[in-house]
Amino acid sequence: MTVQEELEKIWYFTKRDMISFSTYKTNILILVFTAIFGALSFAYLGQTSVNQLVTQTYHTSYTSYLLVGLAFNTYLGQALTLVQKTINPWALEEVLVSPTRLTTFIVGSSIWGFVWSTGVVAIYLLIGVYFFGVVLSVNLVGTLIVLALGIATFIGISMIGSGILILTKQGDPVSALMTIAITLFGNVLFPPQALPLGLRIIAYVTPPYYFMTCIKFMLTGSTIASILPNLEILALMCLIIVPVGYAIYAWCLKTARKNGTLSWF
Amino acid sequence: MPSENAIETINLTKIFTSKIPNGGGFFRRKAVTVNAIDNINLTIEKGELFGLLGPNGAGKTTLVKMLCTLLPPDSGTALVNGYDIVKQQMQVKRSLGTLFSVGERGFFWRLNGYRNLEFYASTYNVPRQKRHERILEVLKLVGLENSTFQLYQQYSGGMKRKLALARTLLPDPPIIMLDEPTTGLDAITARNIRDFVQHTVQETGKTVLYTTHYIEEAAQICTKIGILKEGKFVAYDTPEALKAKIKKDELIYLAVEDITQPQIEKIRSLKGVVNVTEKAEEEPMPGQRGLSVELQSVDQLPEIFDFLFEQKIKLVNFKREEPSLEDAFIELTKKA
Repeated sequence: MTVQEELEKIWYFTKRDMISFSTYKTNILILVFTAIFGALSFAYLGQTSVNQLVTQTYHTSYTSYLLVGLAFNTYLGQALTLVQKTINPWALEEVLVSPTRLTTFIVGSSIWGFVWSTGVVAIYLLIGVYFFGVVLSVNLVGTLIVLALGIATFIGISMIGSGILILTKQGDPVSALMTIAITLFGNVLFPPQALPLGLRIIAYVTPPYYFMTCIKFMLTGSTIASILPNLEILALMCLIIVPVGYAIYAWCLKTARKNGTLSWF
Repeated sequence: MPSENAIETINLTKIFTSKIPNGGGFFRRKAVTVNAIDNINLTIEKGELFGLLGPNGAGKTTLVKMLCTLLPPDSGTALVNGYDIVKQQMQVKRSLGTLFSVGERGFFWRLNGYRNLEFYASTYNVPRQKRHERILEVLKLVGLENSTFQLYQQYSGGMKRKLALARTLLPDPPIIMLDEPTTGLDAITARNIRDFVQHTVQETGKTVLYTTHYIEEAAQICTKIGILKEGKFVAYDTPEALKAKIKKDELIYLAVEDITQPQIEKIRSLKGVVNVTEKAEEEPMPGQRGLSVELQSVDQLPEIFDFLFEQKIKLVNFKREEPSLEDAFIELTKKA
């Protein structure tokens, strides 16, 4: 099995998802309008009490802060749910009996979701720039590094949740908790510094905070050196969560196969 | 590793454990174990069309899933095309094409037939240069050449099953496993699939493991049959040999004219006649009677014919009755 063959498989996974997705035209329209109206609605929230805190910390307007947070929140949401989407029991069995590696299967099933999320992020940012005067100063290298680390970390978390789902066949508590963490402590709608100390601690031990903080600095003209402490913590979390997530997912898959419950949903 | 046999299982065992409620208390559960596959030793030679029969829950699908590496064995192992299903999974997967009983659910409903097969061709490493040609080839083989670019969701049940069959053939594997490929299909589609499988074996020399509930289906196309019950083989032979196993006495059918009840009684008392029963279901013509005569041996037949001749009883029909494979199936699964 050559690298070229595996890359080609990834391309066909993406192509499959792209074609499937493009047939849901109404859904695409709804998603685009949700993004547009979401951006318009939240942009008006710029006049809140956290304005000052945002301006002091990030040296930007609250509108820019909020818009970047919401835009990149779609990446986190995508990463959290993508592995779950791959565990449709019927397709899973069909792919598992083919000579395809588990990693190829997961990566291949993920790409299209991120391509689409990138489009949504672009819509958010374009609206911000053209309609609300948001000024972006993008550190491209830094942004790509933060994105890579953040997406990988959240795929790791998604693998833990999906692994549990393969065994329990019910809810995925990990992704559900992480969604709450993103909303409340993820530095999306307001900086966690605005929270009471007890809640602030939760923000500091969860990955969404570090991802959002780094990405916001990278889009508002800061240097990589200035975010290094947060970036290092994000990288450390990534290094721990990705292998642990993969191991848990693979173990749960193996256990379900052993028990003969893979196609029970 | 080339091998003489296509499939060989060695003391293959799969035990499922489940927890069931155990009397009072919401949380009280007891573990129940089921030997889904119980120490099976099976050999399927290359080029054989092997039928796997068994009642519901006998372990047919479990065995198929173990052979295609989806279910790991609890003990023992199996060799597929000479490769171990535990230690050499990738080689096993390359040697096999598997059609699951609900195989059509692995397809993507918003893609057309061609795009679905294109995706699976990549997962099975069908060379890119040959992919297009191969997809069109297998679609034609299963009779879907006119529905190539039709959306999968618009396919009928038979077309979906045919596409699943096409996917199984796509990588051109030496061994094919078909788990109940005709279940739920109309008689014509089922027959087309059976004919197709039989021709494929004859023309390409592929080995096929064919599981089915339909006994006569297996009798029609399989060169060898294994009957599975509660995870164990209760019989394993050619269809003819299986029928012969339950054959106790010779059974002949006679349709005769102008026979009286005392004459029937006389036949019953002839040497070597075990029993004579009237067979109303054969529906002889008016004035005729159908008799089923059980003989110890076919050597007693001349004596019966002599008697009919002496008594001037007109013989209008005669046939030797063979037990069906269904009789064998019922008899053998009852015995076990």
